[in-house]
Amino acid sequence: MENLILLRFIPLIPLFGAGLNIFFGSRWGRKNAGLLACAAVGLSFLLSLWVIAALPEAGSLKDTVFIWIESEPFRADFSFRADALTVVMLLVVTGVGLLIHIYSLGYMGHDEGMIRYFAYLNLFVFFMLVLVMADNLLLLFVGWEGVGLCSYLLIGFWHHDHTNTIAGNKAFVVNRIGDFGFLLGILLLFWAMGRHGVWTLDLWELKASAHVLSPEQALLITLLLFFGATGKSAQIPLYVWLPDAMQGPTPVSALIHAATMVTAGVYMTARLYFLFSMAPVTLAVIATVGALTAFFAATIALAQNDIKRVLAYSTVSQLGYMFLAVGVGAFGAAIFHLFTHAFFKACLFLGAGSVIHSLEGEQDIRNMGGLRSYLPTTYWTYLIAALAISGAPLTAGFFSKDLILWQAFAGTRGSMWLWFLAWLTAGLTAFYMFRQFFLVFHGPCRVKESARAHIHESPRVMTMPLVLLAFGAVFAGWVGAPEFLWGSRWDRWLEPVFGGAVEPAHGEPFQELFLMGLTLAVAAVGFVLAYLGYGRAGRALESLRPAPGLSLLANKYYVDEIYDFVFVRPLTRSAGWLAGSFDPKFIDAIVNGVADRVRGSSLFWRRLQSGNVQHYLFGFLAGTLLILAYYLSQ
Amino acid sequence: MDLNNLDSLQFFYPEIVLTGVILFLILVDLVVVDKRWVGYFAFAGCLLSLWATLRLYVAPEGWLFHRMIVLDNFSLFFKVVSLVAALSVMWISFSSREVRSVHQGEYYTILLTSALGMFFMASSTNLLMAYLSLELVSLTSYILTGFLPRNRRSSEAALKYLIYGGVASGTMIYGMSWVFGMTGSLDYARINEVLAPGGMNHLTLFIAFLFILAGFGYKIVFVPFHMWSPDVYQGAPTPITAFLSVGSNAAGVAILIRFFFPAVSRLGDEGNWLFLTGVEWPHFLLYVSMVTMTVGNLCALNQQNVKRLLAYSGIAHAGYILMGLVVLNNEGLKAMLLYIIVYLIMNLGAFLVVVIVANATGREDIEGYRGLARRGAAIPAVCMAIFLFSLTGLPPLAGFVGKFFLFAAAIREEFYYLAVVAIINSVISLYYYARVVKTMFLDEPSPADQQVLMTPKDSALLGVLSSLTVVFGLYWGPLVHYTNESLRFFMK
Repeated sequence: MENLILLRFIPLIPLFGAGLNIFFGSRWGRKNAGLLACAAVGLSFLLSLWVIAALPEAGSLKDTVFIWIESEPFRADFSFRADALTVVMLLVVTGVGLLIHIYSLGYMGHDEGMIRYFAYLNLFVFFMLVLVMADNLLLLFVGWEGVGLCSYLLIGFWHHDHTNTIAGNKAFVVNRIGDFGFLLGILLLFWAMGRHGVWTLDLWELKASAHVLSPEQALLITLLLFFGATGKSAQIPLYVWLPDAMQGPTPVSALIHAATMVTAGVYMTARLYFLFSMAPVTLAVIATVGALTAFFAATIALAQNDIKRVLAYSTVSQLGYMFLAVGVGAFGAAIFHLFTHAFFKACLFLGAGSVIHSLEGEQDIRNMGGLRSYLPTTYWTYLIAALAISGAPLTAGFFSKDLILWQAFAGTRGSMWLWFLAWLTAGLTAFYMFRQFFLVFHGPCRVKESARAHIHESPRVMTMPLVLLAFGAVFAGWVGAPEFLWGSRWDRWLEPVFGGAVEPAHGEPFQELFLMGLTLAVAAVGFVLAYLGYGRAGRALESLRPAPGLSLLANKYYVDEIYDFVFVRPLTRSAGWLAGSFDPKFIDAIVNGVADRVRGSSLFWRRLQSGNVQHYLFGFLAGTLLILAYYLSQ
Repeated sequence: MDLNNLDSLQFFYPEIVLTGVILFLILVDLVVVDKRWVGYFAFAGCLLSLWATLRLYVAPEGWLFHRMIVLDNFSLFFKVVSLVAALSVMWISFSSREVRSVHQGEYYTILLTSALGMFFMASSTNLLMAYLSLELVSLTSYILTGFLPRNRRSSEAALKYLIYGGVASGTMIYGMSWVFGMTGSLDYARINEVLAPGGMNHLTLFIAFLFILAGFGYKIVFVPFHMWSPDVYQGAPTPITAFLSVGSNAAGVAILIRFFFPAVSRLGDEGNWLFLTGVEWPHFLLYVSMVTMTVGNLCALNQQNVKRLLAYSGIAHAGYILMGLVVLNNEGLKAMLLYIIVYLIMNLGAFLVVVIVANATGREDIEGYRGLARRGAAIPAVCMAIFLFSLTGLPPLAGFVGKFFLFAAAIREEFYYLAVVAIINSVISLYYYARVVKTMFLDEPSPADQQVLMTPKDSALLGVLSSLTVVFGLYWGPLVHYTNESLRFFMK
């Protein structure tokens, strides 16, 4: 561990950016506010690069800003720490974040609330950086809650529309449920460690002494922590907020609800891998939840018609992959997929944003089609990213997804079933991605006549990030190639973090090659089916009629309705009773009664304060004598 | 270190500077026409003295002037507190309308003299010195209270204060004479030595200490020695009220700790204080503390005058501070010192807003705060809300941290009743603090209410105090550190 004061500026610069824009943004105007926000994240990005260069071999950097809580023997510092895992997250947050900031300059350029938008965006980057750089769980929790707040603010950014506000509320409430579990997990961890004489929440100290926990404690703690992760990272059962979160501006969906915030749960489990490794049952739960989420979300995505909702379910599905990797103990693979996913999913979202931008707000893919000739740059970058997420050979998604599938199959905790679900999902992914792709860019143009004249490629400030992200969608995965190609530098990079926690998957290279072939095959099947269904000219319109079996999928398995019936309605009804009858008739009566008594008694005391100095002196004397009498009575 | 008069001078610069400035001010007052200059010189003198005080942190600890006063971190802490209080009060006075109407030259001179008295209160280790310093503070306070010419309330308050203070300090020096009679010494350390073997008549000792406590109690303002304060706080010029409520209160705590801890007890092994036999006074302090906070809060409930309300709230806070004494260990003392800093900041802030409003409208009743936020004074109103909520002890404000340490100290020593009473009291206090906040924000201003504007000077101090209130609520590490350092008594 070395000290590096520089570290604190990585999160603080975006915070200053947000503060300056909030207080003075109106003074220097929308354009400059946007540039300032971009510059702040850009600086953080440069500093992050510096940190990568300065990172000692197999070590970490630390910067203690101040002692935050000190209560012997417990102590929590406001301090940041960077190791190999952190810098991966730093790259994603500041790098992808910077591109999305730049993109927003174009996307939000005409919006009245642009200053507020950039202030929120900077604030989000600050909290996200606090989350990934925190050196103790309390500070991590601060970041965790902070990104939730920013997510809420940005989902409901266009708050004049009521549905946006409701979507923001839904995200916030569902996240709070998860956060509650997370907080309970932290407190339980704190308490359990304390029972063994170790009062700490410092991540590195925890790592060194977590072995004192009993298996039962570890099980309960990790289950609670994972529950927190299901909220933030949109897993079953708490994934329902993420599709609705698409009400926010599209760059926000790209940054917060695809590339960074939703991966916080994956980061957290990877960061606490030493705890999770102690609880095999939890890992099995995580793997199952991850695989199921990946599969179900992918099936829902098959039948969605909103361009962003398809991507949202796809994000849920890809996050499921990451948790599957965590569950089989392949933490490095999870982070690897997080890393590559950030590029191609951000690219897809921004591409979708470019489409929406050019169609002036249209989001239904049934009303698109044939946009290839209008939006060439968007078309090509979208194609690349779609290939990457489908796992086309030598793209980023190919390497990371293959690694997870291989670990799910051959890892010590892996199983045939997990692999099978993930394998099916790979096929579904290729299908829904290219269904969307063909509907948007190929076939006849179904855009309304009135809007057709205005279709235009987005300005350079928006296409440039697309091109860079597409570049990343291809090459970001090359650092983690399997052994029989040129070998993975990824594992070596994360080796100091995860150490010996990950037992290498044992299997023959030909086995891995065979599985890879199977995966490619199923993806190819998905692609071909999509092409047959939607790609060929003339077929498009008939195929848009909903097939009878698909209504279950189109309605998302009615999960929202079930939740509404089981949880929301009984809760609102009982809340109505509590607020309408119980509170005024019972609670208020008690409170007001007590308050009246207290206020009444104050009149008595005031009467003693007569204003007469003789009375005061009598009080002085009487008081003294009273104390004396008390002493004598002892 | 036990120095004679001449050698002591090198560690006496803060007092020398203050004394010099006081004399200089008297001269300046004769010469300059614009009397505000007296205030500015006084302010500069205070800064100079503060600088000299801070420099003494590197000096060795020890007795000065043949064991009359002591130099240690504890006394330096209270000197800093007195100076900060004096500086802020002068700053407030610069733009106060009340002060402008009086003879300002003498006003600032006497204010400084009072601060000088507080210096000695914090550092005397001799009963006679303690008495003199307390009288110095009292006498200057009487004058300052009655400083408003042709103001009936002010004069009445000064007279009441004088009579009450006279009785209290008379009682105190009577108690001191008993102690002198029993031990043959006025020196704290010597008293400790004589009392240590025990064998004194317990009742006599108790009465003597009770009488002394009456004198200290009247300075700290706890029940049953509190009755002077509402009238005096209401009648005095508002900056002086602020000064009395933070400065004089803190000095009273200083003299109390200085006398009762190092003089009649000794430090045990685990940071707890063991009392000499026959001096079991802390038992009744438990009840005094509870009664004090309850009386203060209950009386404050129906007050219509903000200054009077703050006077009662001050009594309640004296009760909270006493909690730290009851537990008899360094944790408690640390919590007291911490609370004094926090209380200094938030109470000064509250009084500053009172002055700002009074400057603009001349009103001190709560009705005068109607719709303050919409009368051009949104910032003072928000700051006032911060101060009042901090006084209540709501997180994340400094007052919460202060109360947290006090309550924690009480709970750790298993004084659960005390903690419960204190928490109930905090809830009660929320009522009257929140009432002011409600008046400021929710009530409609009537058309007759004037706009409230601040001077840049006031807004600067307001900014400092309110941000400190928030910052210390989030980041109290340095406060804890500083109070830890300040608990180094020089005892033997």
